[in-house]
Amino acid sequence: MKKLKRMYRIHRIFMAQEFKRMMEYKGDFIVGIISFFLVQLSNLLFLWIIFSRVPDLMGWSVNEVIFIYGLSLIPKGIDHFYFDNLWNVGFFIVRKGDFDKYLTRPVNTLFHVLSEKIQIDALGELIMGIALVCVSIPAISADWDVFRVLAMIFMIPFITLIFTGVKTITASVAFWTKRSGNVIYMFYMFSDFAKYPASIYSRVVQNVITYIIPFALTSYYPALFILKGKDPLFNLGMPVLAAVVLMGLGVFVWHRGIRAYESAGS
Amino acid sequence: MITADKLRKEFKKTVKEPGLKGSIKSLFKPKTEKVTAVRDISFEVAEGEILGFIGPNGAGKSTVIKMLTGILTPTSGSCTINGKNPVKNRKSYVKEIGVVFGQRTQLWWDLPLRETYGVLKEIYEVPDDSYKKRMAFLNEVLELDDFISSPVRTLSLGQRMRADIAASLLHSPKVLFLDEPTIGLDVVVKDNIRRAIEHINSREKTTVILTTHDLADIEQLSKRIVMIDKGSKVFDGTIAALKAEYGQIRELSFETGTPNAVKTLDYTGHFKLGADDLSLEGEGKSVKVRFNSAAVPVSDMLSYTLGKISVSDISVKDADIEEIIRRLYEQGVDG
Amino acid sequence: MKRKLKIYLPFINAGIQEVATYRVNWIFYMLGNALACFVAYFIWAAVYRSGGGGTMSGFSMPQMVVYIVLMFLTGTIIASDGAYVVGEEIRDGAIAMRLIKPVSYNATFLFQELGNKLPTEIAIAVPMIAAVEIIRTVLGGAVQFNITCLLLYILSCVLAYLINFYFNICFGFIAFIIKYLWGANMMKNAVIGFLSGTVIPLSFLPGALEKVFLLLPFASLNYTPVMIYMGKYGGAELLYFLGLQAFWALFFFGLSKLLWRSSVKRLTVQGG
Repeated sequence: MKKLKRMYRIHRIFMAQEFKRMMEYKGDFIVGIISFFLVQLSNLLFLWIIFSRVPDLMGWSVNEVIFIYGLSLIPKGIDHFYFDNLWNVGFFIVRKGDFDKYLTRPVNTLFHVLSEKIQIDALGELIMGIALVCVSIPAISADWDVFRVLAMIFMIPFITLIFTGVKTITASVAFWTKRSGNVIYMFYMFSDFAKYPASIYSRVVQNVITYIIPFALTSYYPALFILKGKDPLFNLGMPVLAAVVLMGLGVFVWHRGIRAYESAGS
Repeated sequence: MITADKLRKEFKKTVKEPGLKGSIKSLFKPKTEKVTAVRDISFEVAEGEILGFIGPNGAGKSTVIKMLTGILTPTSGSCTINGKNPVKNRKSYVKEIGVVFGQRTQLWWDLPLRETYGVLKEIYEVPDDSYKKRMAFLNEVLELDDFISSPVRTLSLGQRMRADIAASLLHSPKVLFLDEPTIGLDVVVKDNIRRAIEHINSREKTTVILTTHDLADIEQLSKRIVMIDKGSKVFDGTIAALKAEYGQIRELSFETGTPNAVKTLDYTGHFKLGADDLSLEGEGKSVKVRFNSAAVPVSDMLSYTLGKISVSDISVKDADIEEIIRRLYEQGVDG
Repeated sequence: MKRKLKIYLPFINAGIQEVATYRVNWIFYMLGNALACFVAYFIWAAVYRSGGGGTMSGFSMPQMVVYIVLMFLTGTIIASDGAYVVGEEIRDGAIAMRLIKPVSYNATFLFQELGNKLPTEIAIAVPMIAAVEIIRTVLGGAVQFNITCLLLYILSCVLAYLINFYFNICFGFIAFIIKYLWGANMMKNAVIGFLSGTVIPLSFLPGALEKVFLLLPFASLNYTPVMIYMGKYGGAELLYFLGLQAFWALFFFGLSKLLWRSSVKRLTVQGG
């Protein structure tokens, strides 16, 4: 408990520093938020053009597709907002030897790296995701009840950890190879599959994104329960399980990696 | 206090062949080889001691320091501070130490300096009242007041170094590691930093381990040095002992009225000396000869010189430590 | 010419060495990009199946597959991160090292990047072109390979690369001046992604919008080469689009020279 309290204090002070830093570079951050918003907007435009040609996408209505799309953006945006520093680990921090700093401080290195930075651009994704979910829900004729809405909110932290877990594992690769930014990138790109209902993919792809690099668990499966009330044990249980396993694995690989860390210079 | 026991570190290194062909080849089939950066180095440091850590570039100094600070995990061997081991319990170990890397900063780049100390206070769990006292002390020793409200990126190199040293001392560590603390600084600033380090050491009994290329740092600060070369420890002792062991170099300087004195004096021919053992430089009337007093006794040198030319003033000096170490680096210590 | 090339050879070499050092990373990067293709393939497959097959806006499903693959290939071939490199070099002062060398600043970048890209280009383009042809043959039922189209495609790609390269250099200088490098770069990618037809073929857009987008330099990046390879442009139309590409390449080349000059002035003013 004392430990958690300390972590919270450190996290808060890091956040405060980040906001101060952001105020120094306001313009850059505003442009960043807008651009992430624009990326999403162009994808929406794509969906809109598609749905002007076809009435539904293999049984999924336009609103359901938008719901899934929006739902996939929320955990992605949260992870992007809080834990984006992992990219820096993969691209720069290890290679340039800047990881030294974390090792000389009496704080858990992973916690330090994760809590040190926030990425304000993520708001572009996050706001868009929340907006899409809110806009699509009233248009979908599902049996809404409190439990489904609560389930959705309850799931979001876990789903976020699926992203963070995958990023932590792949970022740790840098401890052995010096640079793993593109490894993070490759696995992170699997999250693109989460944008659409997983049933449009082939069997093989579905299995991969459900059991191996489980990004389908971040939107499609929870949506199956939230929209259609299907199989809560699997559709909610699997994402939680995956989050715990991936994050656990991430912490493990990270600490193994530190032992292999070579710093930089002579 | 600090014990390093047979520290060893091996790295894997990719070998690249030169040229375009080599780059294409390494694209498909990279070759690696094992490099031993540090070979079984052991030493101890007592509380309150200032230890100078020296060696030529690439000798493994930084690797040793990084193992001692818990950054690198030794391939074998161990190091402890007061019985604490960085591999086993990094967090409690690093609370005992403060680290400054001259070429890198741990300050928050975009924010006023004051903010960095605020963050470090939380990270190191320094209570409010001792934080206040500590800042007052660091302020007094390192004179931070002038720039504590400026963003770190606007600080001069000397200010930044003082700020970094203060940052590493905020939690009152028992051991302070300084890796090239005076690199790139001008003479006056260097002197300020040295005095601050001396002050902290004498007042708080902080043990200091220092690596540097500027031997004036070592001469002014530390009584004892450890020298490493090619990953092995080649010398461990006081500066006086270093001088006694390797310092047979003497410098003979004199003023002469004889024209072309430098040409008249044929030391190398007369004493049959190699280039290692003698160097001669002359400018107008004054001439300087550095020679190895183990090869030629000082008295022989003097009588030969006085016999050849007329001398108006003459002096013989011990070589300074810089000279000794320069020769050691050039020759290779075991060679 | 030969002597000139010789001056720049070390820059090509340096580029290749960078890739060699991080080759595994590069493979992962390509795989990551390829994943986006798979997603695009599946979404289009679903669209065509839901729409009952046939042709949409001039594209049949097999053609859409070819379009997706070619977009990926073209995007890889013409990729340029000059904007980022220029911005970083100005920021950390490394640009000074290029200033003191007796070679053109923009050209050293061009050649270093070419060195970076040459192995990429060869390793990717050959198998992918083969794959495209196999896909086309299998899905279409007959060999559709056309050597003229391939050669014109290569020409068009060269032009597209030059547009992209000089556009990015310009962008780097401008971003430096307005100081929003990172955010602006994200914005640029978002806009280009859409306007160059990467997200959706421009022919799917409403008529007026399509016409405007085709005129913009971004369509000259990916869209034009791909349409040429697919044989969608012929005769006067083909010449028009190639001419438009050449125009944009020259435009950004000229602009980059101008911006370079004003940036150097700024650099000297700021000093350091």
